[in-house]
Parts: sequence; C-alpha cells; structure tokens
Amino acid sequence: MRLLVFVVLCVVLMVVDARFDALKTVRSQMGLVLTPFYWVADMPVRIWRGATEQIASSNSLMAENEKLKAEALLMQRRLQKLAMLTEQNVRLRELLNSAALVDDKVIVAELIGLDPNPFTHRILIDKGEKDGVFMGQPVLDASGLMGQVVEVLPYAARVLLLTDVTHSIPVQVNRNGLRAIAVGTGNPDYLELRHVAETADVKAGDLLVSSGLGQRFPSGYPVAQVTEVVHGSGQPFAIVRAVPTAMLNRSRYLMLVFSDSRTPEERAAAAAEAQADADQKAAAEGVEASTPPGESGSTAEAAQPAAGTAPAAPAQEAGQ
Amino acid sequence: MISGRPNNGWVIWFSLTLALLLSVAPMPGSAELARPLWLGLVIAFWSLTLPHRGGLGAAFCFGLAQDVLAGTLFGQSALPLILIAFLVLSLQQRLRMFPLWQQSMVLLVVLGLAQLVQLWLNTLTGNRPPTLLFLVPVPISALLWPWVFVALQGMRQRFAVY
Repeated sequence: MRLLVFVVLCVVLMVVDARFDALKTVRSQMGLVLTPFYWVADMPVRIWRGATEQIASSNSLMAENEKLKAEALLMQRRLQKLAMLTEQNVRLRELLNSAALVDDKVIVAELIGLDPNPFTHRILIDKGEKDGVFMGQPVLDASGLMGQVVEVLPYAARVLLLTDVTHSIPVQVNRNGLRAIAVGTGNPDYLELRHVAETADVKAGDLLVSSGLGQRFPSGYPVAQVTEVVHGSGQPFAIVRAVPTAMLNRSRYLMLVFSDSRTPEERAAAAAEAQADADQKAAAEGVEASTPPGESGSTAEAAQPAAGTAPAAPAQEAGQ
Repeated sequence: MISGRPNNGWVIWFSLTLALLLSVAPMPGSAELARPLWLGLVIAFWSLTLPHRGGLGAAFCFGLAQDVLAGTLFGQSALPLILIAFLVLSLQQRLRMFPLWQQSMVLLVVLGLAQLVQLWLNTLTGNRPPTLLFLVPVPISALLWPWVFVALQGMRQRFAVY
C-alpha cells in the first residue's frame, strides 16, 4: 500500500530529523534551491516600496532629511560622551583587574520572509552560512535585541524572535541588577518574566537588559521595558509583563552580532597583551610626565612572557 | 479519448510550484491566520482529475519542500498533504460526479482532517497553537475551491494534460 509506505517514510524522516543531525546537509542543499522562493514571494512588497520611494514628494524627503539631521546631532552628542565614558570604563576596569570590554562586531542583514505559520514567531534573513552566520547567533535591531538564529541555510538564516513561545532569555533589571528570565508568550506585544518573587523590586517602566548569563546573548543590550506588575495574593510569583524594545514586527534591517567567542582566560590574556603593548609604546615614546617609566616597563615585562604560557595569570600580573 | 502516454507534465509541476510560492507569500498582519492551504487545494485538484498520474509522490515531494521553507521537521507538512491526496484519490469516483459546491463540502472535511493531523504533529514538536484559530484556513480554502478548480481545469484543457 503506497499510502502506508509514504506515511512510514514521513514518520521516519521526522524522527531522524528531530533526533539526529544526518539530514542537516540535505536541508541546507534544499534550502539553496528554495531560498529564491522567498525572494520571489517578497518581490511585490519590494517593488511597492521602491515605487513609493520613487514618487515620494520632495517635501516629505526634505522633512525626513531634517529629522535625520536632528537625530544625527543628538547621536553625535551622545557619542562624544560615550567616548569619554568608554575611556573611563577601560581605566576603571584596569584598576579592577577585569578584562576589557571588547566592542562586538556586527553585520547588517535584511528581512526576506516571515514564517508562513502564524503561531510561530520566526523570520528569514538574507545572510547565511556563506556570510559566517552561525547557530544561536544573537540578532538586534536599532532599538534592542530581537532574537537568535535557529537555522542556517547557505544564503539565508532563520531567526527565532524573543516573543516565540519556545524562546526565553536571561535578563536583568537595569536599575538594580535583579536577574530574571524573560519568556516569549506567543503574543508579539509582550514578554513575561518567570519566577519573580512577590517582593522583588520590579516596577512598571523598568528597562530590562540582557544579562549575558546564558552565554548566548551579549550582555547589556536592551531587551524589554516592564509595563505592568501584578501582585496577586495567593500566587507564589508576581506576574510581570514587558514590551520588547526592538520593533519585532516592523524592522526590516537587522544586525547580526559576532560577540566574543573566546573564553574569559583567553580574553584576559589578550587584554594583558594589548595593555603591555600600549605600555611599551608609551615607554618608547618617552612619556615620562604621568607615570614613572620603570613601573610601566616592569608591567610590560611581567605580562608579556606570561601571556604566551599561562593564559589565566597575566591579567592579574598586568595590573600589579 | 485519453491517450495512454502522459504529456505536458510540466503544467502540473508549474501549478504546484506556484502553490508553494503562494504558501510563503507575505500577507498583511492578521490575514496570515487565514492563509488558504494552496498546496492542499492544488494537490486535491490533480488527484481528482488525473488520479493515474499519482498524487502521493508529488504530495510527498512538495510537502518536504514546504518543510524546508517553513523550517519544520522533514515530513511535518508532507504527512497532511499525503493524507489529502490519499483521501481525494479514494473518494475520486464519487467526487467527480458532484457539483462544485458539494465537492467544496467534502474538501472542507478532508482539509479539516489534514489540519488536525498538522495540529497533532505541531503539538508533538512543542509548538501547540494556543487557540482553535488554526482551523480558519479550512473554510477559506473550501470557499476558494470552485475558483481554483475552474482556473486549473481551464489550464489543464488549454495545455491538454492527460
């Protein structure tokens, strides 16, 4: 019976696909052929957008230009402050012997398709394996975290959004550092915090940032803003709802973050090496006004040999 | 007079490819919930009109293609499609005699069954839809059946597909 054959084949395929990695290559090959489908299906939207841009009146363009200029000015101001703060942060971290925060590398991707199933919150982007995208990679838009990569095809990747029922992300309240887990609800408008004690210090309006504890998302990116906290008597935990800061169903351009995949030890070693280099350079230039040259020289000597051999040690030595 | 040799098979594949394309086409907002089961409709048509051309194989192939497009497990949308093809094939003798609206009624049941199998598989993989809204595409598709049938029949006669 042919039906039986096909049904058994389907079931076997599903089990194999769910349990083993054997079909990953088949899937990526089929993805290579099928990705253009998304391009073609998206074509009318693309053309429509192009057309509206073409016939946009010069008035509205000028208004937009004005707005963008104002925005750029504001950003510039914040950037100036940021440079100073970054500098200060690096110095303080040096004092505390902790590894320097490295800026994450980012590439920009464009949305090419939405998942046809309305009950899952997944999107398809136009960067894939060939661009270095990897499983579990964090995805951002201009205003916050959006989700993570769950499937990599050769020229496309599938991103699971924060609000999908199967997604959770470790966060902390920016105001006081309280940690929690933000779970997707299947509703594109809000996330829920799980297992937050009744007495916990969370208020409406608090910003939740990623804590980086799950080792998947980089820490410190905005995730959501708390909108309501319900303290129900008789329930073990408070109900906390938060609106994602990223525009999950509006953003068309997203950023893929290549965060530091090195271990803390390696990072410390690299930081120590960079520090030693900087010190050596400073010493070579003969800057004697601020720090005694002997001290910085000894730091460099202490750090350099150690950096190559014992990765864990140099961070401590470099600071001494 | 039907010749024994199949011809113009590309029309079948073209219509199925078009259905696959429609099944991933972007739709505005909540209209996504009412996306018709295009592949199911086209598979049902070809199984109904040309049962000897084998509907199960095509259903399986395009089901797998849809799985890759939707990022679901291999076979997760192929199984409901195979079920549709099988049910239509087994009801084929009777369905051919029915007027279009009556065919729609039967398809309502067939597609509904397929959608329930889909729900079952989704639940197994941990993606249980929270409401009964996943059944909305079924009546929509059944309402679309007469139009799909007339369009595809026109195409079939135009290109003389046997």
